[in-house]
Amino acid sequence: MRERIAGGYDDFVIPFMVGMAFIFIYLFIALIRLFTHIPPKDRIKFFKSLVNPKILYKDCRDILLDCLLHVKIFKRNLLLGYMHASIAFGWFMLIVVGHIEMWLYVPQRNGLLYYPVFFRYFVKQEGDLTIKGAFFFFLMDFFLLMVLSGVGLAMYKRFRSTALGMRRTTKPCFADRVALACLWSIFPLRLLAESFTAGIAGGSFLTKPMYWLFNNFLSNDAHILPTWWAYSTALGLFFLALPFSRYMHIPTEAFLILLRNAGLKVTKPRKGFAEAEIYSCSSCGICIDACPMNIQKKNLPFSSVYFIRFLRRHNTRKINQISDKCLMCGKCVALCPVGIESCGIKRAQRATLYNDIKHDYTYLHQAHHTPDSPAHPLPGTQAATGTSAATGTLSASVQADAKLSGRGTASEKVLYFAGCMTHLTPSVIKNLTGIFESSGTEYVFADKDGGVCCGRPLILAGREDAAKEVIARNTELIRNSGCKKVVLSCPICLKVLKEEYNLKGIELVHHTQFINTLLEQGKIKVSPTAGSMVYHNPCELGRGCGIYKEPLNVLQQLGELKKAAKEGKESICCGGSLGSLTLNYEDRGKITQGSLAALTINDPQKIITACPLCLKTFADKADRPVMDIAQIVNENICQK
Amino acid sequence: MGKFGFALSPSSRINLDEVDKVKFAKLVEIEPDVLKCMACGSCTASCTAGKFVKTSMRSAILALQNGKNEDAINFLKGCLLCGKCTMVCPRAINTRHLIISILKVYQ
Amino acid sequence: MKNIVVIGGGPSGLEASANLHKMGYNVILVEKSPALGGHLAKWDRLFPQGIPAKDVLEGMISNINGVKYFLNANVQSINALGKSYNVILDNGITVLADAVLFATGFDLFKAEKKEEYGYGIYERVITNADLENWFRTKEDSRVANNPKRIGFVHCVGSRDEKAGNRYCSKVCCATAVKQACEIKQEFPDAEVFCFYMDLRMFGRGYEDLYLSAQKEYGVRFIRGRVSEVAENINKELVVKAEDTLSGKPIKVTLDLLVLMAGMQNCSAGAKVAGQIGVAGMETDGFFETKDTIYSLQQSNKPGVFFAGACTGPKTLPDSLHEARAAALAIHNYLQEGEKR
Repeated sequence: MRERIAGGYDDFVIPFMVGMAFIFIYLFIALIRLFTHIPPKDRIKFFKSLVNPKILYKDCRDILLDCLLHVKIFKRNLLLGYMHASIAFGWFMLIVVGHIEMWLYVPQRNGLLYYPVFFRYFVKQEGDLTIKGAFFFFLMDFFLLMVLSGVGLAMYKRFRSTALGMRRTTKPCFADRVALACLWSIFPLRLLAESFTAGIAGGSFLTKPMYWLFNNFLSNDAHILPTWWAYSTALGLFFLALPFSRYMHIPTEAFLILLRNAGLKVTKPRKGFAEAEIYSCSSCGICIDACPMNIQKKNLPFSSVYFIRFLRRHNTRKINQISDKCLMCGKCVALCPVGIESCGIKRAQRATLYNDIKHDYTYLHQAHHTPDSPAHPLPGTQAATGTSAATGTLSASVQADAKLSGRGTASEKVLYFAGCMTHLTPSVIKNLTGIFESSGTEYVFADKDGGVCCGRPLILAGREDAAKEVIARNTELIRNSGCKKVVLSCPICLKVLKEEYNLKGIELVHHTQFINTLLEQGKIKVSPTAGSMVYHNPCELGRGCGIYKEPLNVLQQLGELKKAAKEGKESICCGGSLGSLTLNYEDRGKITQGSLAALTINDPQKIITACPLCLKTFADKADRPVMDIAQIVNENICQK
Repeated sequence: MGKFGFALSPSSRINLDEVDKVKFAKLVEIEPDVLKCMACGSCTASCTAGKFVKTSMRSAILALQNGKNEDAINFLKGCLLCGKCTMVCPRAINTRHLIISILKVYQ
Repeated sequence: MKNIVVIGGGPSGLEASANLHKMGYNVILVEKSPALGGHLAKWDRLFPQGIPAKDVLEGMISNINGVKYFLNANVQSINALGKSYNVILDNGITVLADAVLFATGFDLFKAEKKEEYGYGIYERVITNADLENWFRTKEDSRVANNPKRIGFVHCVGSRDEKAGNRYCSKVCCATAVKQACEIKQEFPDAEVFCFYMDLRMFGRGYEDLYLSAQKEYGVRFIRGRVSEVAENINKELVVKAEDTLSGKPIKVTLDLLVLMAGMQNCSAGAKVAGQIGVAGMETDGFFETKDTIYSLQQSNKPGVFFAGACTGPKTLPDSLHEARAAALAIHNYLQEGEKR
């Protein structure tokens, strides 16, 4: 292989170079800006992560798997995954192999940006093809074919998205359309240009036959320059449109992975880490089908993908509308192939609106977990065994009330924290305390007569400062109890206790986990007499706390567990979520009905959940019994 | 007028002539549910904060309608947004958003 | 002779059947339960004067002499056949009816749906129907223990979007006040509380009932809806509400709580009606009448008529009026058909 064009230059590279120069300058400025917006502490964290081999390894792995191979999308739908991966990985390999070719055959041109892109124009094949040469020709044709197949699928998806597992796709904006047109034409043009040039530069299984084919009815040489011009122009235009289109995710996504792996979090809705997230959105639209609100067509514009688009456009009115309406169920986050924490951004956005709302929580200091009793320990009356009195910081009367034996000290007992909502679902309390008693668990009922809210609802509303006060007081109350294990009935409480409370040394479990452990330890035994049922994963328990296995493990021992249309992390919010601020009751009802329809697709006798809010929300609308996991377990406990 | 009789000030009487209708209209625009209350008191009864300090959605709405904006704020400033009132409200008022909106509009 | 199928053997069905029979029509009365009388058969005494329900019902049943009626019978299918309706019962009987009267009445709201009140969870929570049953039979372990403090919760499943019933069930206020007096007669030492949102004592003699509840029975009326009920170790009920008149949350410990379950359109009746395109209104689930003032007994389908609580909550006298009006409406309809 020898250089064909002396000087290694032709005018047609200008459009490409202009686009390239533009995008490089743009990205450089954007990067500097982003860094100035990141809090100094986070900046240090980021740079430190770049020299940490463990994190570096994770970075490389994530970039390969997520940005190039799109493994997450593959898991959802093979065809859709292939579409994304073929374009991304194929293009990446074209660039890499192109550079290797240049480095091998024309090393004097190293450093010329455009050279590998237009390699075939500048070189000439001499004599017989070597094995090495044939191999690279093959590779280049192979990856080009790969990209082309992806582009073909993308075109097909525009017309029939359901074939690729998507009911609805994103509506592209103007810049998206320009970039899309360029992207779709880049690779066919490259194929044409390389095919016309294949007589001179050589080619492989794709470009050679194309050359011979065209040769029959076209004078190939006359088409060489125009197609290279067109190819270069398409590339240049694509780069010019890039920052204003969804394809900005190509450069940003890899950078986001670095930031995320460094442990950075959203602090402001539009700046710093959030900005990296916003520009990493590829507008793939997976979040549109994911969103439970989209059971009603009118809610489509409230999908996360549009939220991010409006953030890019600084459309505050729309941004607020969407962030206020969102259920914060986290399904779009769980399914996002880029892993954009749109709920975090929405929370940060809410904080800009509501964090400055004044509050007065001075009363919290008179709050005790059992406010009917004096703060100091009292000798308790004995209920069951008649042995000596219980002591502890929590009220003795309540302990007696709860039929505690009083043998153990506080640290051996579990602290039961029902949560505000659970007081509206007495079946949960009654059955769980029943299970406590059957299993011989000694417990202290922290909020028997109502407690202090956990703070999560305030956080969800963006009132972080107010939440801090509540959290501080509750932390104190829980620590003072002396208990080393807290059992919670409300997943909303559990999530915030795990994430925002400083309760080191205290084990926090949801009652599903607690029941599962009791079963594993043989402290309770159940009979498989519950009939058929389906399990609804509450958002805050599943996606929120990652608790998926325990409830299923428990329910499998009780009866026939039927499948729902959407399970695990794809479970559909019940509609009762505290996350949404503005959704009204009618619209929530539609979500509830949609969720119920997905749950009852296999006609189970009962619907089981593990969140008081889901329980109450479903019970209003369901056509069959809805019950908490505690109830179905307690009803099927067999006598030891 | 006013020179004679028992015109004590400030009057404890609610004066409907002095109600800030513009602000209330703004509130209605942000959260129309404010008009749905039938004063059953469910919200107040189940209120988590209400156990410690007077916190009452119902009273706040009434106070706003009577032009006692300050009272309304006082009835809500202890709210923890726990959402129990939303759950028990028979008129399905979006209480949490209403509370935030009242505090935002009238503070 | 013209055939008329009356669906529902409650007060309205009985009264309409009796009248149509007297007019000379061939009436076929279909009742799904083993006895005639509907909810009335399960009630002890009636407001405002406390007349025994049994006496009223017996009178009605003696009036339907000659009417063919089927107990334990359900309408299996019904479909329009020209101007008539082909009604097939699940006992094998088929009738070609010239007119069909829905007197399907109401279902009581399932109180366990309001879980926060603890019906079916706590031992001492009962419904208005349970209490009537106890008045009649004195058999209900939940009531027996000589309760010292008794509460009545009005509007359970009525005026409640969450329950899906936005409307007022009309009769529960008067029923609650009546039952409050009656339980006070049974337990003169007990304190009785009524938790209400608005007291709707609209009929003749109802206000007097209210007054005597206050004056003679010392019933305490608290204006506030109960929001949650807890149970303590002694199985007593801790009830939370707001006394909206003083603006303070209140808490009271009770030995017995009676939930005044409201009315819903009868689901079995709605199912049958659905087969001929007669549907419940989206707003409240009750059947849609031809208009809301003048033609309350007519449906939107010729030959299909309504009487009683299937078109909205009604008192017993209301339902009886409607039954007679329906008989007349059916008569007029059949006469006109004859002339044409």
